[in-house]
Amino acid sequence: MSAAASPGKADTVMRVVEALLRQSFLLVMLACFLFFAFYNGAFLSLGNITNILEGSAILLVVSLGMTLVVAQGGIDLSVGVALDFGSAFAIVAMRDYDATWYVAILCGLAGGAIVGLLNAFLVVRLSVSPFLATLGVFFIGGSVQRIFTHGGGPISFRRLPLQYYDIAVGDVFGIPMKIVIGVAVLAVFYLLLERSLFGKRFHAIGMQPSAARIAGIATNAYVALGFVVASMTCAIGGIIASANLRMFTPLAGNAYLMQSIAAVFIGASMHPRGRPNVLGTAVGVLFLSMIANGLNLMGLDFNLKDALSGIILVVALVFAIAQRRLKH
Amino acid sequence: MTSLAQSPLAGVGRLVRAVAPSTPLIVFLAMFAYLGMASSNFLEPSTMALVLKQSVPTVVVCLGLATVVMAGGDDVVVGGIDLSVPATAVLAAAIIADLVSNHAMFIGYALLIGVAAGVVCGLVNAFLVVFFGMTPLLATFASSTAFIGISKVVTASRRINVGDPLIVWLRDGSIFGVPAGVICACLIAAVFYFVLHRTRWGLNLQAVGGSRDAAEMSGLSAARFIAQSFVIAGLVGGVASAFVLARGSGWTPGTEENLMMEMVLATFLGAAFSPRRIVTLWGAVLGAVLVSALSVGFGSVGIDIFWTGCIKGSLILIVVASAALSRKVNA
Repeated sequence: MSAAASPGKADTVMRVVEALLRQSFLLVMLACFLFFAFYNGAFLSLGNITNILEGSAILLVVSLGMTLVVAQGGIDLSVGVALDFGSAFAIVAMRDYDATWYVAILCGLAGGAIVGLLNAFLVVRLSVSPFLATLGVFFIGGSVQRIFTHGGGPISFRRLPLQYYDIAVGDVFGIPMKIVIGVAVLAVFYLLLERSLFGKRFHAIGMQPSAARIAGIATNAYVALGFVVASMTCAIGGIIASANLRMFTPLAGNAYLMQSIAAVFIGASMHPRGRPNVLGTAVGVLFLSMIANGLNLMGLDFNLKDALSGIILVVALVFAIAQRRLKH
Repeated sequence: MTSLAQSPLAGVGRLVRAVAPSTPLIVFLAMFAYLGMASSNFLEPSTMALVLKQSVPTVVVCLGLATVVMAGGDDVVVGGIDLSVPATAVLAAAIIADLVSNHAMFIGYALLIGVAAGVVCGLVNAFLVVFFGMTPLLATFASSTAFIGISKVVTASRRINVGDPLIVWLRDGSIFGVPAGVICACLIAAVFYFVLHRTRWGLNLQAVGGSRDAAEMSGLSAARFIAQSFVIAGLVGGVASAFVLARGSGWTPGTEENLMMEMVLATFLGAAFSPRRIVTLWGAVLGAVLVSALSVGFGSVGIDIFWTGCIKGSLILIVVASAALSRKVNA
């Protein structure tokens, strides 16, 4: 508003404030890092750093799926359902149908794809807004899991094939498998979404759907594909979780929903144009995992930790979105 | 693909579009017909009284959501929506339950503190949406996670029984044979009707929701009305806490999910009753009673409780899909 009076000056001030704010998230992150490091010496140990990285693998893949959907202008509240379906399909395939480990992985991915296809059908065919469509799927998915497990008891399978168990506990040249998977998915998403024509089209649809359609992009196909790929990516998270615990825990995926949304918006806040982006999301995930780990090491009460991380999520979102608003 | 196959498909499409706006009502009528036949006592007066009693918390939170939608417009993405009313109610209920049962506080003071907490929640939402410019959907979804987190700290995630006479009266009492909770809900609805439809402020608020630009041009501050609508929703959440406590005879962890499902379903189902297919107060109240009737009906037919999420979730999708499809036809 006031920019109209003295455009040049206000512009420079805004630009400085904006740049400061954008960097300030990294400063906040650094401050938290230092705080945890001073509070508890164990925080900085190599073992704990590896812990943080390993612990962020599932959140990372879920958040990358979320990034894809947010980049194309939607949101996906059913990421937790896709994760749980991935985990359930894989475990049940091995336990009840003696599936080999790679067939189980494919089954898990197919479980995620079902959720994604349902979302795509609702959003593209029935033109329901992504938020309400995926909210409905979120409710239905939770209910389906309760029905399937007769109330929400976990399905455990202790005699996992070794190769499947290795997804969670194995390593490649000494690097934990979870980190390897996380980095691999990150690399694929980075190349697809940020370094290819394919990714440019996703961003175009998110910024200006009608312009993208006029420019000849099959927007419906891309949106549908985005939902399916996102859900399948979340299913990878479910597969890691099921291998780790050697069981399927119903409704476990819901814990990742708000965190993944926060990670995406934190990432977007660091982008010069406020767009959701793969590397920003990765930073957001690291931040959230670091906070979770730090709070754990402080030995807080479970409920208090829950509330604190809820509040931190809101504050992070406010932070991320207030910056975007400053730009307009 | 070919023109031969296309014509019947187009016919089906036209039929779907003609029926789409009334699909939710048809589905609901079909369900009630089924429940009436499957359960002999579903249509008895005592069951109907139970339906009304059970619907009270949902009715109250629906009034809050309807106010926010009326002020913000009914576009689900950029318009007004407040998903955090149930979480607000559950947080306020947790505070009241803790104060009354664990600290032996007088119920009147506890209720005041609970309602005040609800107003604070509303202020938080108003700040997130109006001051920071967050999308209402995202802001209220995120804040409800935080409210639920805080409620768990207050109660340590344990059930708290509340045997206070006032809460018990809200549950079991009656005036001239009408359940007390139902009378309270009617009074609250009447106040809302008066304020939103019979005062200048209420009409201005509706004008902002109808067309933000037109309202701004005629000198109304849209931001102010939207902020006020969120504070009212918070207040309503605080008031609803008393009914949540009465329905559950205390505080139980995890109440908010079902309440949120019922609230979203009822409020948007209510839009199907309005001639212009917009969210209205009476529509929301009627929707809440219908949703509660479904829950009671499923119980009396003996449908497993794990199915409720599935059925209500599908109903939400049917309601919003039919609204979206009919909007597409009109556009």
